Amino acid sequence: MKDVLIIGSGISGMTCAVRCAALGVHVTLVSPFPSERSQSVMAAGGINAVLPGGEAGDSVQSHVEDTLRGGCGLGGEKAVKGLCEHGGEILRWLESIGTVFSVDDRGRPLRRAFGGQTHKRTCYCGASTGKQIVSALVMEARRFEAAGRIERRLWCCFHSALIRDGVCHGAMLYDEARGGLEAVYADAVVIATGGQNALFGKTTGSTQCDGYAAGKLFMQGAELKNLEFIQYHPTTMETPQKRMLISEAARGEGGRLFIRDGGRKVYFMEEKYGPGGNLMTRDIVSREIDAQGGRAWLDLSFLDRAVIDERLPEVRDLCAKYGGIDVTREPIPVQPSVHFFMGGLAVHLNHETNIRNLFAIGECASIYHGANRVGGNSLLAAIYSGQVAAEEISGRTGGMHPADFSGDVERERRLLEKSMDTQSAFPVMYMRDMLAETMRKHLGIVRSEQNLAQGLSDIDYDLSIAERIRYDASVMPYFNFSLTAILTLARATVTCALERRESRGAHYRSDFPQADGALGFATIIAYDGGSYSVRLDKERAYES
Amino acid sequence: MKVKILRQQSPGSAPYWETFEYDGPADNSVAGALDYINYHDDIINADGKPTTRIGWECSCLQGICGACAMVINGRPALACETFLRDLKGKSVEIRPLRKFPVIHDLVTDRSSIHENLKQANVYIGAYQPAEDGDHAHQYAAAKCLKCGLCLEVCPNYVNGRTFFGAVFANDCYLVASRNHAEGGRIRALYAEHFGKTCSKALSCMEVCPMKIPTLASIAKLNRKKG
Ligand SMILES: Cc1cc2nc3c(=O)[nH]c(=O)nc-3n(C[C@H](O)[C@H](O)[C@H](O)COP(=O)(O)OP(=O)(O)OC[C@H]3O[C@@H](n4cnc5c(N)ncnc54)[C@H](O)[C@@H]3O)c2cc1C
Ligand code: SF4
Ligand code: FES
Repeated sequence: MKDVLIIGSGISGMTCAVRCAALGVHVTLVSPFPSERSQSVMAAGGINAVLPGGEAGDSVQSHVEDTLRGGCGLGGEKAVKGLCEHGGEILRWLESIGTVFSVDDRGRPLRRAFGGQTHKRTCYCGASTGKQIVSALVMEARRFEAAGRIERRLWCCFHSALIRDGVCHGAMLYDEARGGLEAVYADAVVIATGGQNALFGKTTGSTQCDGYAAGKLFMQGAELKNLEFIQYHPTTMETPQKRMLISEAARGEGGRLFIRDGGRKVYFMEEKYGPGGNLMTRDIVSREIDAQGGRAWLDLSFLDRAVIDERLPEVRDLCAKYGGIDVTREPIPVQPSVHFFMGGLAVHLNHETNIRNLFAIGECASIYHGANRVGGNSLLAAIYSGQVAAEEISGRTGGMHPADFSGDVERERRLLEKSMDTQSAFPVMYMRDMLAETMRKHLGIVRSEQNLAQGLSDIDYDLSIAERIRYDASVMPYFNFSLTAILTLARATVTCALERRESRGAHYRSDFPQADGALGFATIIAYDGGSYSVRLDKERAYES
Repeated sequence: MKVKILRQQSPGSAPYWETFEYDGPADNSVAGALDYINYHDDIINADGKPTTRIGWECSCLQGICGACAMVINGRPALACETFLRDLKGKSVEIRPLRKFPVIHDLVTDRSSIHENLKQANVYIGAYQPAEDGDHAHQYAAAKCLKCGLCLEVCPNYVNGRTFFGAVFANDCYLVASRNHAEGGRIRALYAEHFGKTCSKALSCMEVCPMKIPTLASIAKLNRKKG
């Protein structure tokens, strides 16, 4: 293939762009803002890889097993094997493009222990792994930009895909700087737009990740997978502007969770699970805090000051800066918050969706993490998926005569204009906030038929008025036209959670608290003119 | 608290000041305050007149992406890590960065930063670190947000046509240190677009949110070598 259009320039989008360019494919790389603003820069903890000279007893097989176990049987075995087998190679590649890893005195990457893993295999770059990888990738992409093989389009947002008869021919983009819709044709389109944070409003992640692309493509016929699996991080600090992630390292270094009962401190995790209680997996800790009323305290104040200064300086600084808290003297108020999306666009092993020539990579694609993600695997997956899609695309013959979509562009233009005329009591931004409230309330850590059904009916109401909402001329047009697809994605997510009548991984139903062996398959949801159909992927159609 | 903002509807239009009354949490950051003002169904300015939502850019809201760079009470800073409690007086004055074209209100087009780095071919190519590579310095330089605050404050940076500023010097250092073989070419570029013009005002280091040791980058690039 000759031309690829990549939407999103975080770690996955850039990796795919760089690999495509190296293989001779011309890349158009689209994102409203530069890569330095993508959520990828926020990844702090690290990236998993089994390297020669690693921890005794560790192996690729063990990484595969940890990932599959974390995913509670829903991560595809072949996909996960491919992911883990490439860890070492990916790490060497990242080094070769200049990523500044934390290294030992012989220059070998240091590793830290991360939750849910049997061995220490999380390589890191101080406390800014994602940022250091982004910086290296930006430079590598720049090399190909200078050579004209990658063309960046900033200020551009995805609007919709150009699909005819199940084949994708490019995408419609909205150019915020020039103010208009345009069709960009390509032999393949790769979606790399990250998770769907905006469904929940304030999360630990970036405000740029809104799930719009996944929602819109769903409405255009792409299937979505495992949407009900949403990872809550147990320890985040609420501030007026966002939920700040308090790293798992705080508990790793000995931090203790407690609640207050009158004047008494109750160490609820230790009481229930013993001395290791504070370090139980993210879903368990989140659920326990939820059962205690949703709030708890994380105490580090008893730790040696040197431990805090040497091993947890970021936690110390973050709490001081955003919470006015001196962690050496007082506990941190924490609550669980939405953190990562295991679900997204359903893709095959080559990262192609059910629509030919439409690919999805990074957090917006669902394939490796199953019902729960193991920390440090998402950066690895962002890179690996970008490479897999690039190899596939470069190896295919392209150059099909593009269908003519000029009529569609015209129609969408008219629709956009028409929406600007709409008068209603509610502006778009208000609806986004309403949705976030609905999702937080009805798709929380513990779910039930009744609660989910209420959520569904709230979203149905929002959807019924979405097309008549006041177009808000003072925000980017993107915020206006993206509303319906975001609501549709939210509806699909709640529908999947309703349909899964069991508890598994990050999905916990109070009315079905046990896992049901008969339901050990991925959820697939499809959309057809307003109707949503859910099925289990019993034939494992997406594992090929 | 009064929040006075220099607004501009679109790239070519005339800028104007508009004041808002802020009655939200006192421990908010400037970013949080902008969000708070924007949150309401209808936005009312301090004169009680309905107005439009304030345009500003954000992503991480924790000081690690550089999106929210603006000028707050005369000082270039990141809005999401500048707190109302630390500002003096009963009002705060916010304007967009002056060294970049305004797109809308506080949103500016900083693509010249990337264009200059691209034009000058600042990339690592083959990884060949110098033996005496300073790991901590490289790590610090790679944390650059490309936020443009250092350019906003720099007396020598005008429009980025010839002098490219601290952000450029730091990326040059990173490339030179990660690819020894490229050192000569990069040093020449550095001299051309930074070294020969920099007057060492070093205000760039004071405003840099990532505390990048630009002076150390300058010192290493000025050293005759390679
Ligand atoms: C606080 C935090 C810490 C984390 N720590 C770790 C960790 O230690 N280890 C780990 O493995 N993972 C971690 N993660 C998860 C990991 O960072 C992400 O899964 C990963 O970076 C996703 O990369 P991506 O390329 O898929 O998407 P992103 O980096 O989110 O990039 C998405 C891109 O798409 C663009 N975009 C979005 N919508 C549109 C649109 N409509 N049109 C055009 N462009 C669009 C955005 O502008 C952006 O460029 C962490 C996440 C958070 C929030
Ligand atoms: S050097 Fe500092 S101030 Fe300048 S762009 Fe980088 S992070 Fe911003
Ligand atoms: S929003 Fe990222 S630095 Fe302020």
